[in-house]
Amino acid sequence: MRQLVVTLCCLVACGGPGTPAPTETVCPDPDPNTLTYDNFGMQFMSDYCIQCHDSGLVRSERNGAPLYHDFDSLLGVVQVANHIDEQAGFGAAAENTFMPPSRCPSVPGGKLDRDCKRPSDDERRKLAEWIACELGRPHTF
Amino acid sequence: MAIRIGAMSCLLALAPVRAQADHQHGMVAGGGGDATSFAAGVSLIAAQFDTMSYGGDYQAVVPSLRWGRGRFAGSASLGLYRLQENGRELYGLGDAVVHGQLTLVHHHAVAAGAAVAVSAPTGDHLAGLGMGHVMIMPAAWGRWTVGRVTLDGSAGYGRALGSAASHHSHGAWPLVDPMNFAEVTWTASGEIPLARVLRAGGRLSGGVPVGAEGETRVVAGVRVLWNAGQVDTAFELQTGLAGDPFTIRGVFETALRF
Repeated sequence: MRQLVVTLCCLVACGGPGTPAPTETVCPDPDPNTLTYDNFGMQFMSDYCIQCHDSGLVRSERNGAPLYHDFDSLLGVVQVANHIDEQAGFGAAAENTFMPPSRCPSVPGGKLDRDCKRPSDDERRKLAEWIACELGRPHTF
Repeated sequence: MAIRIGAMSCLLALAPVRAQADHQHGMVAGGGGDATSFAAGVSLIAAQFDTMSYGGDYQAVVPSLRWGRGRFAGSASLGLYRLQENGRELYGLGDAVVHGQLTLVHHHAVAAGAAVAVSAPTGDHLAGLGMGHVMIMPAAWGRWTVGRVTLDGSAGYGRALGSAASHHSHGAWPLVDPMNFAEVTWTASGEIPLARVLRAGGRLSGGVPVGAEGETRVVAGVRVLWNAGQVDTAFELQTGLAGDPFTIRGVFETALRF
């Protein structure tokens, strides 16, 4: 019984095997517009995300990616931007490496037949900053 | 003696389907005698789900150990799952669950008591196999036997320890046994003997979220239970009526008393 209590307390204290957390990244004021969808976001998503997070993939082709988390458009990114930040962004409050996963498909919707490319720490910081800035910009979707 | 054997039989036969296939409590009537009883069981679970963000199925093998003595009973279980979610297949443990129960009142056809279940986050919460938090689930339960019919009910409260901000936001979660971060839980069931060793019944259970986020969940099930010597076996077929816990789920459970 004592061991059980100790184990439970440890799990509570440690918070389990890791939890996605907001990076709390703030866009500089004024927005420098150095990171945009066209010069950063689109390529980042293409390199690391849309093999599974693509609006053209049906459930069985998504390799576990949730529906309505599609990053092949700016609209799709903005709709769940906080989730992207919590899964892959680096910032002052958190360094999240939950995505990309360890295995990826070579082609969108394919089998998990290769190791995923991993963003660098700098790319993850830029991702969090771009998201923070993009959410404050005007859009006409 | 007959009461003790009957009550312990209920404990051993009913608790698994109620407490181990759900995060919720397995309220059963305690014995009242002083004999100690143990049981080892295994549940086989198969389910299909279709939530806001995920579709798929899972299967599980859930070994369990149970103990009862007088007014006290307890159980522990830990499931091993195969989960298929949006085209991805994975294997892993679910959350470990420990359940304790105390019978406070046992008078003729009426019994009532308190129970608490605690789950530890041994399941991968990012994959949908666990809550990602320790869950504490205290409850009060009651049982009333009217003629051949036995009615059970419980009401409780379940809450995760930790920050609600980190709770998953893709709808019902975890996929294998969804709960809200904080919720009021309830069960209501009835059962009738069909033969000397065969019983059948139905059950409703659910959870109502406490706080801003969450979904009300309602599950309905029908079950049969039979006994052969020291072996108690049950099968329950369940469907989710609200909250997307699953489309359909079957739970087969057998336990050996010793």
